[in-house]
Amino acid sequence: MSITLDQVTKHYGGIPVVNDVSLDIGDGEFFVLLGPSGSGKSTLLRAIAGLTAVDHGRIALHGRDVTHLAARKRGVGLVFQNYSLFRHMTVADNIEFALRVRHVRARVRRARRQELLRLVALEGMDNRLPAQLSGGQQQRVAVARALAHKPEVLLLDEPFGALDAKIREELRRTIREVQRELGITTVLVTHDQEEAFAMADRIGIMNLGRLLESGAPHDLYSRPATRFVATFLGAANVFLARSSAAGIQLGAATVAAAERPPDTREHEVVAVVRPEEVAVAATGAELGHGFVAQGVVDELVFSGALERLRVRLENGAAGTPLLAAADGGATPYLEVTRTQPEQRSFEVRAGQSVAIGVRRVHVLPTPLSSFAACAASAADAEALAHQPLLSELAARMKTRIAVRCEPQLGLGAAGPAGDAAFVGATVIASETGAAQRAAWLLERGAREVLVLPAQAAMPQRVLIHWLDEAARRATLAVSESVLRHVPAEAQYVGTLPAGTAEVAQDLARRLAQAPGQMLIVGVSNLERFAERFHALLDGGRWPLLIVYRT
Amino acid sequence: MSFRKPSVLPGFGLTFGFTTLFLSTIVLLPLAALVLAAASMHWSEFMAVVSSPRALGSYRLSFGASALAATINVVFGFVLAWTLVRYEFPGRKLIDALIDLPFALPTAVSGIALTTVFAQHGWIGRYLEPLGIKVAYTWLGVTLALTLISMPFAVRALQPALLEVQRDLEDAAETLGATRFYTFRRVILPTVLPALLTGFTLAFARAVGEYGSVIFIAGNLPMKTEITPLLIVIHLEQFDYRGAAALGVVMLLISFAVLLTINLLQAWGRRRHVQAAH
Repeated sequence: MSITLDQVTKHYGGIPVVNDVSLDIGDGEFFVLLGPSGSGKSTLLRAIAGLTAVDHGRIALHGRDVTHLAARKRGVGLVFQNYSLFRHMTVADNIEFALRVRHVRARVRRARRQELLRLVALEGMDNRLPAQLSGGQQQRVAVARALAHKPEVLLLDEPFGALDAKIREELRRTIREVQRELGITTVLVTHDQEEAFAMADRIGIMNLGRLLESGAPHDLYSRPATRFVATFLGAANVFLARSSAAGIQLGAATVAAAERPPDTREHEVVAVVRPEEVAVAATGAELGHGFVAQGVVDELVFSGALERLRVRLENGAAGTPLLAAADGGATPYLEVTRTQPEQRSFEVRAGQSVAIGVRRVHVLPTPLSSFAACAASAADAEALAHQPLLSELAARMKTRIAVRCEPQLGLGAAGPAGDAAFVGATVIASETGAAQRAAWLLERGAREVLVLPAQAAMPQRVLIHWLDEAARRATLAVSESVLRHVPAEAQYVGTLPAGTAEVAQDLARRLAQAPGQMLIVGVSNLERFAERFHALLDGGRWPLLIVYRT
Repeated sequence: MSFRKPSVLPGFGLTFGFTTLFLSTIVLLPLAALVLAAASMHWSEFMAVVSSPRALGSYRLSFGASALAATINVVFGFVLAWTLVRYEFPGRKLIDALIDLPFALPTAVSGIALTTVFAQHGWIGRYLEPLGIKVAYTWLGVTLALTLISMPFAVRALQPALLEVQRDLEDAAETLGATRFYTFRRVILPTVLPALLTGFTLAFARAVGEYGSVIFIAGNLPMKTEITPLLIVIHLEQFDYRGAAALGVVMLLISFAVLLTINLLQAWGRRRHVQAAH
């Protein structure tokens, strides 16, 4: 491995800007770190270069631990967005800088300089000053300068950010060619997904300081594992759908997902449909099996090769309603892109009614699909749905909060649950009797119960613990899903040897120690649940997520 | 580039006319009068005044102490400007404002304040006394006063230049293998050299012309701690206007020569860059 990152973490002002990143980058690989601004990608790059010290974790270059090594001894080349050339030096002096520092003889320096100038297609520019070059040329000089001392790793921090589109394209090609010719391991940081696709062997996507997923561009695009990656990498229609043994139920259609979720039990899933996987036709019959619903073309934008449609779905018309657009919007819209041949075979106008079909559905493996605020009265449930942490969490997860009224909630074993099965994570308020209510919900099929105090805010630390081995995997999966949306530190709390009643008390004690903590706890045994969890749940001042799996 | 460019201010004719008039009235005309007054002297008379041992001694002190003060200010002004530009710390704005204080203070006040502190029994002077260091009433005191009043010029000239030295440049140098000292010498210093020269020039020019603060701390012993501006005032007090004018002309010539040299130096530096490009 060329670059190995092991649980790298960096805080600024108590907030983790790089949070527990582990990554291996192979020899000669072109790796692109992609993420929105503020996602921590540049900080991570600077940490690899040695310009930023990490708080925790290990960085190794070619098997050599460099975590505490100064930047100048790491043997990396770094290229900045604003070129950062030495303006008082000629191109030649700039390129030879690293060689002069190393006391390389003039003849050797000159030969190396000429070789590099040829590589970046700037022969004969030796005696120019940076101010006399165009932006694209300056960045080429910066690349040559960064390569002069034959670094083992080339790091590029948004190198095309300051260039216009055409120069950008040209320089991209040059850099890719140089990288291939030298076979140098390269990490490029960018927020431009098109750039990432164009250059990367592998892409790593960062958000809120975490490396969410990494993989080949095509794999990430067609099989994202998280909502963020699905929507950040290209356009995506995200739906809450039902998955059963028959397939994924989307409106009138039951489509086979590209990958079947392992769980055959009927449950809610997050489904992703790429705009190019949506088909439109005059009638549902033309679409065959894939017919999902009727819709009305709301907007039509022609953009050269592709035509972009925004189609408003007509819910309910086709029997089973298509579940709301994942963000909870009242009327779900579908983004559709169509190629020229598709446009020719069926022309549409704005305002036209069309039949919508789906060619391919991808189901995200995320265990948290949506939230349902649950209380004994409709008013209480409605109020709970507006709890700030819940609203923020749902907004970040781009999912909806349903409201569920259970008049019998927590009233002994007799009361039946409402007709519908529990969908998504069920949320209840943290108050006296919350343990009773949580037990009641779990016994009736709820799999995740989130207990929220009225004033709870975004946690800074998430404690994770499972009481039984059977709940371990699910607890980890749910924790991962939560942590993707919360810039908090994760802390695994080891199992204590004592009895379970004391474990709950110990966890409560830890939570009471500092504010801003949240607990995710896995259980697989509901025996005397309310009694055992009394200390944790009844009037606790912390958010607590129970994951129940048997 | 066109000589006449549309702009928000009234036309070129008006502004250029005003510029010439303004400069002539408050700069050129008084200087011409000075030269004229000196020119009415006989050459031998002129030489007797300007090359008297007392006058020569005052030039040495005036220009020597000014050059020393400007050098001190360039070095420590760099540190000050660097601290203010690069670091965020509580009270940064306050210190930044303090820099300008010598601008605003009547120079006599600065002189009196310095004398109080550095006199034989002053707050600092009393500790320097046993070490054999005398500040007040020596050339050291003169230099100190000149350093104080010219300090803002050096700092304010350097600040914008240091703002331009982006941290990225240092980061780039570091990843290329340079030590901090190498980076400072090869990257930072060359980048701010023009500003350093400007700062030196401004501080020097200000110090040469200083009068108010120096006379309090200098003791004004002829040949030892007497600066040229003071000598001019002494001539004036004796109603020797022509002698004062003669000394004034010499100061004018020396100052002009120094400033011209520095300017030429800067121009040469710039030209060297351009030449390197061909």
